[in-house]
Amino acid sequence: MKCARCLLQLQGLRLQGLRLQGLQLQGLQLQGLQGQSARSAAQHGALLQSSSQPHMLRNTQHQVIRRFHRSPINDKNQPIPAEFIDEDDNKKDKSLVIHDDLFEQVARETKTKATFNKVMEVFIKQDVRRRGHVEFIYAALQKMPEFGVERDLAVYNKLLDVFPKEVFVPRNFIQIMFNHYPRQQECGVQLLEQMEGYGIMPNVDTKVLLIQIFGVKGHPVRKYQRILYWFPKFKHTNPYPIPKNLPEDPVDLARFSLARIADDRDAKVTVYQLPCTDITESGEEITLPHVVGIQSPSQMELLAQHNPNRPVFVEGPFPLWLRDKCVYYYVLRADPVPPEEKVEEPYDPERSLAYPLQLDLDLDRDLGDEESFDVEDLDEGAVFAMCMTSQGDQAVLNQWVSGLQQNNPILGWVPTLFRLEQGPRELQGAHKTKSDHQHRPDPQTQREEEEDEVSVEEEPRRSQEMKQ
Amino acid sequence: MMSVNRFILSKSAQIRQLLCTVKHAGKHVVLQRNIRTHSRNLAYAKDLFLGQVNKDEVFPYPEVSLEEVEEINQLVAPVERFFSEEVDSAKIDRDAKIPAETLNGLKELGLFGVMVPEEYGGLGLTNTVYARLAEITSLDGSIAVTLAAHQAIGLKGILIAGTEAQKQKYLPRLASGEHIAAFCLTEPGSGSDAASIQTRAVLSEDGTHYLISGSKIWISNGDMADVMTVFARTEVEVDGVKKDKITAFIMERAFGGVTSGKPEDKLGIRGSNTCEVSYDSVPVPVENVIGEVGGGFKVAMNILNSGRFSMGSSSAGMIKKLIELTSEYAATRKQFNKNLSEFGMIQEKFALMAMNAFVMESMAYLTAGMMDRPGLPDCSLEAAMVKVFSSEGGWICTSEALQVLGGLGYTKNYPYERYLRDCRILPIFEGTNEILRMYIALTGMQYAGKILTGKIKEMKKGNIGVVFSMVGRKLKAAMGGSVDLGLTGKDGVVHPSLAESAKMMEQNVSLFGSTVESLLYRYGKTLVNEQLVLKRVADVLIHLYAMTAVLSRTSRSISIGLRNHDHEVLLANTFCTEAFFKNNYWMTQLEKHSPENNDANIKKIAKEVLDNRGYVCSHPLERTF
Repeated sequence: MKCARCLLQLQGLRLQGLRLQGLQLQGLQLQGLQGQSARSAAQHGALLQSSSQPHMLRNTQHQVIRRFHRSPINDKNQPIPAEFIDEDDNKKDKSLVIHDDLFEQVARETKTKATFNKVMEVFIKQDVRRRGHVEFIYAALQKMPEFGVERDLAVYNKLLDVFPKEVFVPRNFIQIMFNHYPRQQECGVQLLEQMEGYGIMPNVDTKVLLIQIFGVKGHPVRKYQRILYWFPKFKHTNPYPIPKNLPEDPVDLARFSLARIADDRDAKVTVYQLPCTDITESGEEITLPHVVGIQSPSQMELLAQHNPNRPVFVEGPFPLWLRDKCVYYYVLRADPVPPEEKVEEPYDPERSLAYPLQLDLDLDRDLGDEESFDVEDLDEGAVFAMCMTSQGDQAVLNQWVSGLQQNNPILGWVPTLFRLEQGPRELQGAHKTKSDHQHRPDPQTQREEEEDEVSVEEEPRRSQEMKQ
Repeated sequence: MMSVNRFILSKSAQIRQLLCTVKHAGKHVVLQRNIRTHSRNLAYAKDLFLGQVNKDEVFPYPEVSLEEVEEINQLVAPVERFFSEEVDSAKIDRDAKIPAETLNGLKELGLFGVMVPEEYGGLGLTNTVYARLAEITSLDGSIAVTLAAHQAIGLKGILIAGTEAQKQKYLPRLASGEHIAAFCLTEPGSGSDAASIQTRAVLSEDGTHYLISGSKIWISNGDMADVMTVFARTEVEVDGVKKDKITAFIMERAFGGVTSGKPEDKLGIRGSNTCEVSYDSVPVPVENVIGEVGGGFKVAMNILNSGRFSMGSSSAGMIKKLIELTSEYAATRKQFNKNLSEFGMIQEKFALMAMNAFVMESMAYLTAGMMDRPGLPDCSLEAAMVKVFSSEGGWICTSEALQVLGGLGYTKNYPYERYLRDCRILPIFEGTNEILRMYIALTGMQYAGKILTGKIKEMKKGNIGVVFSMVGRKLKAAMGGSVDLGLTGKDGVVHPSLAESAKMMEQNVSLFGSTVESLLYRYGKTLVNEQLVLKRVADVLIHLYAMTAVLSRTSRSISIGLRNHDHEVLLANTFCTEAFFKNNYWMTQLEKHSPENNDANIKKIAKEVLDNRGYVCSHPLERTF
């Protein structure tokens, strides 16, 4: 594994070096050459330069034909730093490595699976000997995400098909013993590793191809076997799987994430506000953020038992990662109940008609049978509800709390404190809208107040404002 | 029909007359007994928790006087005839209704007031005779449940806690069956939880009556009951603080405001009426409160605890009938030129049924006999054990009887499927078996705990003397030292032909005593939460009690030379051996900690399944690649 990584690094260095050379070459190229393949361009360039920079020519030819054996030290001789290229290059320039360019050429407008396949076909037909196939495969692997085929097993199989068959199969034990065709094997392993990275499970076709190409004992086949051993084992290790494609709609996404955090089948998701955009009379555009909350019956029960003299807190935002997406949520919680306030329900001997609910004995559990010790058993404050919104400022969250109040009347007389951090608001560009919803939520709450009983609704607002 | 009725009527009147004379003779006997049994503390089952056999309680097996036997025989014959000739169980099951003429027949036989004293127009019979009659009435589950709901719980409240005026007013008409009673406790939100009773009784402004509002579910006889024992929440002032407490009321349908819902469509006992009953401000006079205001909880407990013992004889009666029916089939049906009765696996079923019936009978009449003793003996623990054992045995036996007939038993052409369906209610009603097991185990543990607390505390402190005596006893038991609790030997009460079984029982009892001690040592008062432990404790106790009953009964049978007592010896020895092994197994499990006796795993499995709210495993045909 480590070896493979080292080689990969080498590969990266080499590619960088190539790019540098390519850039230099291009500086010398004629405009008309741009449309042609980079390979010919490189040759042309080399020819053009042959008189003035002979060592360069050697380098380039060498590199184009048999890149692998080229020492990376040569790259270091190149004087132009990498950052420099990144800065003033456009995409076209970046892809001067021959095969990258092939991709760019074929799929100039649309980068789809079809075009990707077409590139592969073009390459296969180009040369019966499949010259430069390793480079091509490396380039293709890099380009896959761009074409959106990085999770397509068929494409990987097709890419494997680019390898010439039976050429690299070792024929005797010595060949098996030593690393037979290391570059090709390395490339095959790299391909499988990319599959592994994207969580793509190879199939029988992959196996057949690999055996055809590298023989039954080749490194890529071993890699295939390892993948097949581990992947099924890990497939269901996550008890809370996330779908491959997360819902696009923020409300649906919030629903999903909240249900995931709550992990309670009885918990009910409520959409307090759907996102919408309005244009006021003055022509101002107002975007109302979505507010989606979740609460379970047991949370409601806990909240109902909460001591009204102690405040509840709206806290957040807390991050929640769903694959490569980060969403933020807010919680309504309280501090842990201090021990002196904990009241145990008094034992009522007339409670159970069937059997005594308590034994009237002066004996405690023996230490040998004490199983309640648990390091995870910490006394934490109860979380009463959770919500998600696109704009986590106090006004919006206040709306959530007043929405909660419909089912939890206790919120009317419990002081609510907001302990919000700045976190994601920066990311979501809330600065722009900040001025908007400074005055926006007021009509909102007023409208709600008109709908509901005014006497109940007014109190919380007062207490909340007081605390604010 | 009329003539038959008249005959029965005259017959039952005759019986009543006869009974009166018998009763007077009986009272004399009772008085005598009273003096003799004055010092008894009546705690047989509880003493088992201490590893003691209070043999005076259960030996000799309770007997009824000769007059009573005659009385029983006279009473039983017409009832038996009525059930075999007049009752069409299949029709009752099909129509989900007991025909009026059948009900009238039952009333004329006096079966609606078996235990109501004669002065209130009932038969005034003892628990023992009641159990004997239950054996016959159980031949039709619907009738048995209707009768039980009427007199075992429905009117029991008036009988045991009612005032003289209440008894005078209600019992005569209830005993004659003119009025039918129901027991209304269960509510949609509450089974055994008294705290969730929502029905409320509010005293009217003039203070003359209560207004009761609420609704009750699963009320047997709910549709036809004229008098109901209703439990409702009332506001009571205790030490200056107003509190909600349960009060029992006698409510007549005639008071107005009582509505009953649609009868439930049930699996079994289809002929019995079960429905929801709602009260809309029903005015109940203050004098109709049973017991004290706020004392309803005790009334309910007493009614429930006293009504259970008869289930043993009911199940036994049913199994005996099933044995008759199936043995007929097994003896005649041929397979491979052999009668079914020659196959070992079929024989096993009959042995099982006979043994179960025998044990149930023994337990039921032992308990009934204990309850018939003068004073107010608290036999609730014993009654609960009888109920648990017989309801479960009944279910297994009906299932096995059906199995003997194979496919035929599964059809409606035979009564077995009906018995099976009817029987299924037994583990559910009158307190589910789970709840009763908790009751059995916890009541005993509480009793033993009170006595053993001091000793255990000493032990925990490391008192050498106590520890040594304990270790010594354990060593002695481990070395195979026999336990002698006095059942056999010089002052023995068990017949020598049962000596081995008695020894097994003694060994079990002694081990049970030390198991209880170690459980109390280990769990203390948190034992309440160890349901799996308590279940085993209850099971052991039930089997110990069953062994006792069997030994006691059989010893008596041998001694007085009852017909076929050798068969009883066979059954008794077989059962005791089986129970001995079961008890040992359970007690071995009790000695272990939860990871070793699988309890931890069981809890874990259940937790995962319940968290998942379904079966957890993937389908065996699924694949991952």
